[in-house]
Amino acid sequence: MTQIELRGIQKFFGAVQVIKDLNLKISDNEFIVLLGQSGCGKTTTLRAIAGLETIDEGDILIDGKPVQHLKAANRDIAMVFQSFSLYPHMSVYENIAFPLRATRQSRAEIDSEVRSVAKTLQISDLLAKKPSALSGGDMQRVAIGRALVRRPKAMLMDEPIGALDAKLREEMRAEIKRLHIKQGSTTIYVTHDQIEAMSLADRIVIMHEGVLQQVGTPDEVYSRPANLFVAQFVGSPVMNVADAAVAETASSVSVSVGGVASGFEFPRALLSKLNGHAGGSLALGIRPEGVLLRRAAADGFVPVETQIVEPLGSFDIVDLRVGSEMLRARTKSGFISGPGEKVFARIDPTQAHFFDKASGKSLEVRL
Amino acid sequence: MAAVRTSSEITVNRIAIVAVLLVTIIFLAPIYWIASTAFKPRNLATTIPPTVVFQPEISPFVKLFTKRSQLRSPPSPEEYAAAPWWERVVFDGGEKIVRDGKGQVQWSGYPSRFMNSLIIAITSTVLAVGMGTFTAYGFSRFKVKGEADLLFFILSTRMLPPVVVAIPMFLMYRAVGLNDTHIGLIILYTAFNLSFSVWLMKGFMDEIPKEYEEAALVDGYTRMEAFFKIVLPEAATGIAATAVFCFITAWNEYAFALIMTNRRAQTAPPFIPSQVGSGLPDWTVIAAGTFLFLLPVAIFTFLLRNHLLRGMSFGAIRK
Repeated sequence: MTQIELRGIQKFFGAVQVIKDLNLKISDNEFIVLLGQSGCGKTTTLRAIAGLETIDEGDILIDGKPVQHLKAANRDIAMVFQSFSLYPHMSVYENIAFPLRATRQSRAEIDSEVRSVAKTLQISDLLAKKPSALSGGDMQRVAIGRALVRRPKAMLMDEPIGALDAKLREEMRAEIKRLHIKQGSTTIYVTHDQIEAMSLADRIVIMHEGVLQQVGTPDEVYSRPANLFVAQFVGSPVMNVADAAVAETASSVSVSVGGVASGFEFPRALLSKLNGHAGGSLALGIRPEGVLLRRAAADGFVPVETQIVEPLGSFDIVDLRVGSEMLRARTKSGFISGPGEKVFARIDPTQAHFFDKASGKSLEVRL
Repeated sequence: MAAVRTSSEITVNRIAIVAVLLVTIIFLAPIYWIASTAFKPRNLATTIPPTVVFQPEISPFVKLFTKRSQLRSPPSPEEYAAAPWWERVVFDGGEKIVRDGKGQVQWSGYPSRFMNSLIIAITSTVLAVGMGTFTAYGFSRFKVKGEADLLFFILSTRMLPPVVVAIPMFLMYRAVGLNDTHIGLIILYTAFNLSFSVWLMKGFMDEIPKEYEEAALVDGYTRMEAFFKIVLPEAATGIAATAVFCFITAWNEYAFALIMTNRRAQTAPPFIPSQVGSGLPDWTVIAAGTFLFLLPVAIFTFLLRNHLLRGMSFGAIRK
């Protein structure tokens, strides 16, 4: 049972504030992913929890007890580093046994713990080897083994698979998830890769320039981004964001993009949901799968011209010119043969997001 | 598969091999000269042209370790027959080994000078490398106020030839009673080597990724434990290299040893040439002394050669 709470964390590196008033509650057994670009403060946050970095203000509580003044060694937390940091002069066995040796357990106890962890991670045959003789994936397993062996209160992982190649990354991602389900320890995982975050996390914490942007389940941050940053950071391909003008027509509401006279059709309910923001400067956000295409003209469809087609196997991403803006649409593969085609597009109102351009905040419009 | 090399590459390669051989010969020639002279009979030591082929003798080493005097008359046959083999080789050279009233062989000054050299060089190396390692770790891992200035200041002690301060040092040492003591020379050599040791070790420390210690800290160890269990083994290469250089410097130091010591704490470097003395110098004995003096450094370097080659496994961190 381990809960971690961050209360009003502030951290400066010289004059630069890298963490700005961070508040976060992590419940027992939860898999939390800190997601953000490099330099957003996510690794600093993780290191602060581990005790490798001091904080300038705030409290870090583990199971309700403030630990910000405790040394790393006394926090009972394990960490997996991006570089793995296996001790090169020790064998795999010694590497895994190292945290146990600090606890002054008996030789036999240490031996059985090491072997059982090695078995879980399927590295029993590597125990005698030196880290330099291991492949990237095996180094990673050993690093995780070293973190697990002590049964720490919480596991911290700093981009643990960032140094691996793409295929191995996918394998290890699945393995980490499997391990978390099996071992069930509170885990905080740092990454800049939103796919990793989406696939692993119970909840994702998105940070930008030291400020927490949104906390939510993968589905929440994907389908209900709190602001423009989250909207464009999560999801691949990236969400379309375009300046939009809302106008009332006889039967519905028209949202025009890129200065084009004929707007996309939205239900009337949009006006009331925009709650007075309709006249202000708005940004429309729509994921490529929310841009629907057809070849023949139809009600509510706007004529557009295709620019670039990116075939991605199971689907294509098509760049569309709408006045001065570009929208990307997801189509079934081969639907658009090439650039320069005239087709008709519509925006699925249920998938549309509206943001206040000035603050970047979502207007929480759900149609 | 046939090696793909152009004829010009082969020529360059051959020239390089010849150049390396030449340089090696130039470097090894003095060592060969000393070693061969150490085993020559006295009358062949100074021949022109030099004698290359000769029957090696052990007598220079016997003479090196014993006190001798010139024979006024040859020893009697009984005396010669009763003498052990090592005394006979001295008789053969027209000298005899000095014995005290009880008939005990009198040692020359060389063994004690050699021991002094060992004690002083080893102790000062351990001190300089030990302190240097800690200092370098501090500079490498912690924010030290005025770090650049301090490091420059440490290095500045090497910016003038040490012998420049020999006279003031001598006066200071005499005032505090440190001249002709082991401690005196140990302090001197440690101080002299420390700046070098700090700088060299800092380079090695900077190369050891911080993550190793951080991993150890998170694994439940104190910083001191992390230093001894993780950093020191990783720094072994650097420590070995630094130790070799410090040892060689302390072992070979001549000027201060000559000025600061005369008997009790005198090291081998000033002692060996003092054997030249007046009259006809026995070059074979001097060569034997020099030859033995070269051995510890050669052995020390040989033992640490694997550490000196940077072959340590630095593959366990992925960048």
